[in-house]
Amino acid sequence: MSNLRNVAESYCQANGHKFVRPVGAGAFKETFEVILSTGEPQALKVFKPGYSPERTARELSAMQRCAHPHIGRLTAIASYYFDGVQYLLTAEEFLGGGTLTARLARGILPLSETLALGRQLVEAVAHIAANDLVHRDIKPDNIMFRDDGSTPVVVDFGLVRDLELTSLTQTWNLRGPGTPLFAPPEQLRNDKALIDWRADQFSLGVVLAYCAFGFHPYQREHESMGQTVEHVGERHPQDERFVQAARTSGLQPLIRMTAAWPIHRFRTPDLLQKIWNEASI
Amino acid sequence: MPAFHQMGHDSENLLSVPGLERFAGAILSPVNYNQGKIASQIDWARTRNGFRTIFDPQLYVPTTSRGQIRDWPYFPNDVDTADLSSDVWWGRLVDGLVDVCQSLSLTDVCSPAVLPRTYADEYYDRLVGVGNLLHQRLRDSPVAAIQTAVVGLADLSALNRAMTIASILSRSKTGHIYLVFDSQTEPRRELAQGDEISGAMRLIDALVQANMTVTVGFSSSDLVLWKAAGATNCATGKFFNLRRFTKARFEEPTGQGGGQLPYWFEESVMSFLRQSDVQRIIPMQLPRLNGAENPFSVQILSQLTSEPERAWLALAWRQFMFWFADAEHRLDSGAVSAATLLRNADRNWGQLDDADFITEERRNDGGWIRPWRRAVSEFQTATGAA
Repeated sequence: MSNLRNVAESYCQANGHKFVRPVGAGAFKETFEVILSTGEPQALKVFKPGYSPERTARELSAMQRCAHPHIGRLTAIASYYFDGVQYLLTAEEFLGGGTLTARLARGILPLSETLALGRQLVEAVAHIAANDLVHRDIKPDNIMFRDDGSTPVVVDFGLVRDLELTSLTQTWNLRGPGTPLFAPPEQLRNDKALIDWRADQFSLGVVLAYCAFGFHPYQREHESMGQTVEHVGERHPQDERFVQAARTSGLQPLIRMTAAWPIHRFRTPDLLQKIWNEASI
Repeated sequence: MPAFHQMGHDSENLLSVPGLERFAGAILSPVNYNQGKIASQIDWARTRNGFRTIFDPQLYVPTTSRGQIRDWPYFPNDVDTADLSSDVWWGRLVDGLVDVCQSLSLTDVCSPAVLPRTYADEYYDRLVGVGNLLHQRLRDSPVAAIQTAVVGLADLSALNRAMTIASILSRSKTGHIYLVFDSQTEPRRELAQGDEISGAMRLIDALVQANMTVTVGFSSSDLVLWKAAGATNCATGKFFNLRRFTKARFEEPTGQGGGQLPYWFEESVMSFLRQSDVQRIIPMQLPRLNGAENPFSVQILSQLTSEPERAWLALAWRQFMFWFADAEHRLDSGAVSAATLLRNADRNWGQLDDADFITEERRNDGGWIRPWRRAVSEFQTATGAA
């Protein structure tokens, strides 16, 4: 049993909440399902002590700034002492519909479902952009569904970039933060000056390509994920198989969303929303 | 889209010259005119339907000793000592600029920009930050903000540099870029570095493909290159038959226009010619394309015949500006293409060479035409443009 679970259980006991089960673990925090004393299910996140307080503060600030049906809602922030160590805990709405990763494990989505999912997630990305934020880690693991199983919600702002504040990423880093398989070239190359909302647009495009076609836009057939990431980092052209699939399926906006240079993607969230909403399959 | 007139010293009389009506707007300069003078230029512009009055705050090299600029209320009195990385300083400047623009009832204003020591990503990011601030402050105003982007031409020779710069500039909320190329090219020489030109063309194309309006300021005959790349508008002034936008130009004395000689712009060789060249080339009747008859060319030739000693500098400015606006119109409408103009000029230079024609100026030999042709050709191949 992890130490963070002990912290979560102790916190629940002290506050009259019911601890239900662990639901996920990342490098810097673990998530547990709990039921508050009011009967409301919540996702309780316990942060490892000492993990970049600045990043954590930005994550929480970002979530507080966002208020959108397709973005995870932060409900409480607490500090809790356990065995003499101070822990940071947050409570977020509990999303019972599982992750997009789990959904994709059952197979690709019908095009109509990808189109609908894209419409909702484009709205979420536009809302994040309107708050001068870049999520920087949009991927199937960070897209969850509400209990209805069809309403997607973007979660985990742990790598958020606040464009109004100085970047926390060191320029000497070979690679910027993010999940390589879903990251745009500017994140992979740590081209900090190029990071803006279009980085999220790229990642969302990759996610939707996986949903619709089951492969990455830059993935040549029979290639490893590492080679695919290398293509993205080197700004090679998208694979012709993807371009054809996007064209014939009616999901052409994906081609522009996943362009290697930000200038070649949709320039504004409004434009992306308009074009995506006009797409027909 | 039509050409804009880049106002310089003693240029206002050119605004209303019959024959130059194709200019659809003026880029107004606070260096050469005080607020009262500019107000009267705007009053005149209101008499012309749809004429744009675009104010360029001209902070490129912000020293307090430049022309009349220090008398403008937005001009910061601490400009020589200010910390140019301060948001507060830029905020105050933008506020002052907004007040001036609203009181003048301009149609557009370019965001203030200073020239950097080096053209780093952070510089472009700062430009866009200032432009977006101006855009925000003008949100409820009839005055439109335009994003100034000063780009080092030498930088553009590096592979992918144009895409990086375009990616940053395209964050501008204004949707309209006022592009100023800072080159090292000396006065009276044409741009001739093919890789720099190609980079500049890629930059313009990328911005236009992102649905942005691109106005290239301080243009000269290089307008054919920028139009081939898709530039929405180009701007020129009477001095741009001679000078380009370089840091050095800010060190030259202002007000006299550099003691100019008159130059004739000859499209058939895409070159500025001295008087003796004109008198020898015109009789050769080199093949020309379908340009409108330039009324100022007619006047100059007539004067050279009847009064060969009489100065024709003022007519030379008009002759160049007429050509500029006419060429932009023909390129826009598809009546002629940059590739065709340059091919014709290249052939004509060959003919001049065969005839052992020696121009008055040693370097006026058409040597830039082939790099231009190549840049246009490579651009067309890369983009699939016709």
